[in-house]
Amino acid sequence: MTAVEPGTKRKRISKKNKSAWRKTDIQDVEQFLEDQRQEERIGTFADKKDEDLFVQDATPQKAKTTVLSVKQKRKLNAQKPMRSHQALENTSKVQDPIVKRNHVKQKKNGRNIELEVCNPTKPRHRQANSDRAVYYTKLEQRLEAKKSKKVVADKDIWQEVDFRDAIPGLKDKKGWISRDLALHTAGNIGKKVVKTHASLHHKTTRAKKFELPHPGMSYNPSPEDHQALIEQVVEREEGIIKKEQHLKRVTTSMFAKVTPEERDKRHLQEMSQGIEDEEEQENAEKDDDDKPYHTINAPVENKKKSKQARRNELKQKELQRQTELKRKLKQQTADLIRIKSIRHELDDEEEDLNDLKKRRKQRAEKAKFEPKRLGRHKFEEPDVDVNLPEDIAGNLRNVKTESSLLKDRFHLLQRNNMLPTTKAVSRKKAKVKKYVRNSHKEPGVSYQDLKERRKVAAAAAKVGTATIKI
Amino acid sequence: MRRPKKYESGEATQYISRRAALRKLQLSLNDFRRLCILKGVYPREPKHRRRAQKGSTEIKVLYHTKDIRFLLHESIVWTLRDYKIFAKKSSRDRAIKDFRNLKRRLALFPEIKLDHIVKERYPTFIDALKDLDDCLTLLFLFSTFPSLQLIPREQSNLCRRLTIEFLHYVIASKSLRKVFISIKGYYFQAEIKGQKVTWIVPHYYPFKPQSRQEVDFKVMSIFVEFYTIMLGFTNFRLFHGLNLAYPPQFPSSVLQDNEDTLKDEASFVSDRIAALNFELLRTDKVQEDEEELDIDMELLEQDGDSKRIIKMKQEAQEVARLRTLFKGLKFFINREVPREPLVIIIRSFGGKVSWDSSIYPGSAYDESDETITHQIVDRPSLGTQYISRDYIQPQWLFDCVNQRQLLPTNKYFLGEKLPPHLSPFVDSKRDTYIPPEEKALLDPSLIETHEQSDESEDEAEKEEEETVDQELLDAQLQLAYQEETAEYKKYGGVDGVNEDEEDLEDDDASDDDDDEEEELDEKAKRLKQEKQKMSVQSGKVHKVNKRQVHKAEVDEHRLQARMVKPRHRNLFRKLIREKQTKEKEEWLLRKKRRTIEADEKEARKTAKREARKEAAVAAAKAAKLGK
Repeated sequence: MTAVEPGTKRKRISKKNKSAWRKTDIQDVEQFLEDQRQEERIGTFADKKDEDLFVQDATPQKAKTTVLSVKQKRKLNAQKPMRSHQALENTSKVQDPIVKRNHVKQKKNGRNIELEVCNPTKPRHRQANSDRAVYYTKLEQRLEAKKSKKVVADKDIWQEVDFRDAIPGLKDKKGWISRDLALHTAGNIGKKVVKTHASLHHKTTRAKKFELPHPGMSYNPSPEDHQALIEQVVEREEGIIKKEQHLKRVTTSMFAKVTPEERDKRHLQEMSQGIEDEEEQENAEKDDDDKPYHTINAPVENKKKSKQARRNELKQKELQRQTELKRKLKQQTADLIRIKSIRHELDDEEEDLNDLKKRRKQRAEKAKFEPKRLGRHKFEEPDVDVNLPEDIAGNLRNVKTESSLLKDRFHLLQRNNMLPTTKAVSRKKAKVKKYVRNSHKEPGVSYQDLKERRKVAAAAAKVGTATIKI
Repeated sequence: MRRPKKYESGEATQYISRRAALRKLQLSLNDFRRLCILKGVYPREPKHRRRAQKGSTEIKVLYHTKDIRFLLHESIVWTLRDYKIFAKKSSRDRAIKDFRNLKRRLALFPEIKLDHIVKERYPTFIDALKDLDDCLTLLFLFSTFPSLQLIPREQSNLCRRLTIEFLHYVIASKSLRKVFISIKGYYFQAEIKGQKVTWIVPHYYPFKPQSRQEVDFKVMSIFVEFYTIMLGFTNFRLFHGLNLAYPPQFPSSVLQDNEDTLKDEASFVSDRIAALNFELLRTDKVQEDEEELDIDMELLEQDGDSKRIIKMKQEAQEVARLRTLFKGLKFFINREVPREPLVIIIRSFGGKVSWDSSIYPGSAYDESDETITHQIVDRPSLGTQYISRDYIQPQWLFDCVNQRQLLPTNKYFLGEKLPPHLSPFVDSKRDTYIPPEEKALLDPSLIETHEQSDESEDEAEKEEEETVDQELLDAQLQLAYQEETAEYKKYGGVDGVNEDEEDLEDDDASDDDDDEEEELDEKAKRLKQEKQKMSVQSGKVHKVNKRQVHKAEVDEHRLQARMVKPRHRNLFRKLIREKQTKEKEEWLLRKKRRTIEADEKEARKTAKREARKEAAVAAAKAAKLGK
């Protein structure tokens, strides 16, 4: 496709093969054809008028370059047709060969609400208009109410109010409408009277709702009260320690400790348990080869009993039954003498049962005061708040507050069965590995640098001592 | 007949798991939690968990099916669903920056109305009062909070407002009964409509952040949301019961136009209201006096005087005295003392109070006011002091209220080591053993007799003359004070005493005058006769026949036992047994103490004797040496 330079001799090319023919330069022909097609599309220069071809330049030579802000540029760009739609634009000058087409009448996108508001034509438009008016009046009311400070309570809700008063038709002074009928009507009107069932008001725990403080919690307690409180705390703590020790005893310290070598040895032994067995088995099998073969699961044989055997069996059974009967009779006669001791036994048994009943009752009674198990976690009594003797200042200025009141309230709600006990779950953040880029690293100090520095320092010291000597 | 399947009846249908409840109510977990807290529906523990959970044994959160069905009717379920829609729409508006629409949406935010729920959960006003303990404590706590992530500032502001309103009621109705400073905070107990309402006010320290691992702030915030509404309605009712305007307002006489008031009237007024130092606007003109109580007591008198009625009368008298405990006293609170709890106490018992105007607005008078009777300080020493007033530590107020009388101030002076602050919630008249030290704290007369008896017995203790002198002085002071209180108790009020006495004297005088004028002679004669008859005889001590008294007691007890209904017999026996064991315990403890004290005394005596002997021996030796 390189243009042929004048003066250079054309190289003779063989035209033997089809591939050789391809090398022939047909550019001039194609150029000509292309020009012709273009003329067909946009017309020849000759056809065009001068005005079409040329434009009088009326603008001054150098137009002021206005600096547009980003926002203005965006605005201008927004006016342009979209880039993505450019491909759809018909740039061809070739006339549409099919003159008559079915023109699709374009529908307007969506409703023209303004039109509907201004001149409603349909009943639904009118409905919508009235709804809209209600909405906006409500909005205005709300905004006004927000401006003027609202009061939380503006009525006495505990005043006795009959639901019938709120519904105009149901007000009857003559007693013609029964209460049941009124209830029924109210439900059908859409103002149903909902009854609260009594179990909502039932207490689920017998424990006190608001715990009064222990006298030892005073900011300046008397020594006795304070001691009593501390004793309480100590008792609790001792209980916890005892439990911990018990757990340790039955778990960790139950197993003897071994040296690491011993452990490794045991591990090896355990891991190689099957291997040795197999070897032994193989050896055993080798030994067994001499003995006759025995199956492990021998087939079951259905051996029939002989008639005599059956008869004997029956006889034996009968005999056994009779001896048992005799034994029982004998026991009964013997028990006649034992009546007193039997009575004692029975009494003991009854006493035991009563004891059990009592204990169960006690446990049930105690459980009434304890928090219920509402969720996965068990409620654990929080620590008692106490000031240690050295923290008691004796005056209000230096009081050391011991507890968080919020935590206290939260635990109280849990203890009163109002909240299930929960444990806060914190989501673990993914660990981000941090490192400094090589390009940002500070140049480190090499061993050689340090050595040099030390030398310089030593030299300086020498000079210093020298001067002092002088 | 269809064969009944497993878990189609009984306990399995009584309970519903939380997940199932969520599905039934079509709410998210957060919304469900909120709904349950607002409606007072709490999870339940079944009797047989495996049965209730349809065979599964893991521990699930279960609710009563009935409760959940009850929630289905609730109108706020719809509001909660509207929240979801609101969040979606407003977030869309925000994303496309359609702020006009967003503003309109925000104005129409679907707000939850809880009035009917308050009424439903507390059918009567008394029910609400019974549940006020928790509510008040939580609101007092939240009123100290800054705006946190899950607790909006409006909420803590609202809490502050409502609690201040409640305190105004307590002050106006003079219903405060007990106060206590603990390491947790200040405990207050008021008696409102016969209900004891106790609450805790946290200590006034800077806000300490609470870790979110321990407390679920969201849940607490929901509780507070409900409690604010509840306290609002309670306050409304309480204020109207006292004929006070609600929300609280000032009478126009207090509000004078000056620069401060004109600048920002709303904040000026709210500051003064928060100061708790002014009377509020009343809806009626007449100041009501407390005469109702007296009438009630008179009516009771007709029923005769059983022990209970006597006790009630005493209680009523004490309360009446308590209500005017600080009347006529003028306090000044120093700047280092926590202002609010003290103002509540002083004002609710009729005292006048003020503070440095630079700490908080609403102070009534200056520190230099000469009519101030007590200044409350909490520092070891003070620069300028006025002679006309007592400088006391704040505990004095608390102890006075708890013992329902004005205590001598000498133990509470500036820089003095304070006596222990006892809890008023422990019944001082309980049946169990009370050590004499505690008794002495409650009734100072006991300690004095104790000391005196000691002195009389231990004649040898003459060496410690200085201390004895001091004790004597103290004892004298206390004796005088006791006499005062005794008089006070006898006649039930200072004013009453004087008037009665004067009246009596007047009557006597007038009678005398008449007699003298008309029948001088006759009277003289009579007098002479009487004089002759008159003679001074040695008085006889009225002897109480112990046996007879005991017999009467036993008889009464028997009668009581016979009167007990058969179904209450066990209970009666239990009570008697408890009483006996308590008495025995008390006796044992007292005996123990007696023996210990006797031993100690013996030891002291022997020690002294030995010391004397040694001294004698030493003296003898010295004499020998001298010779």
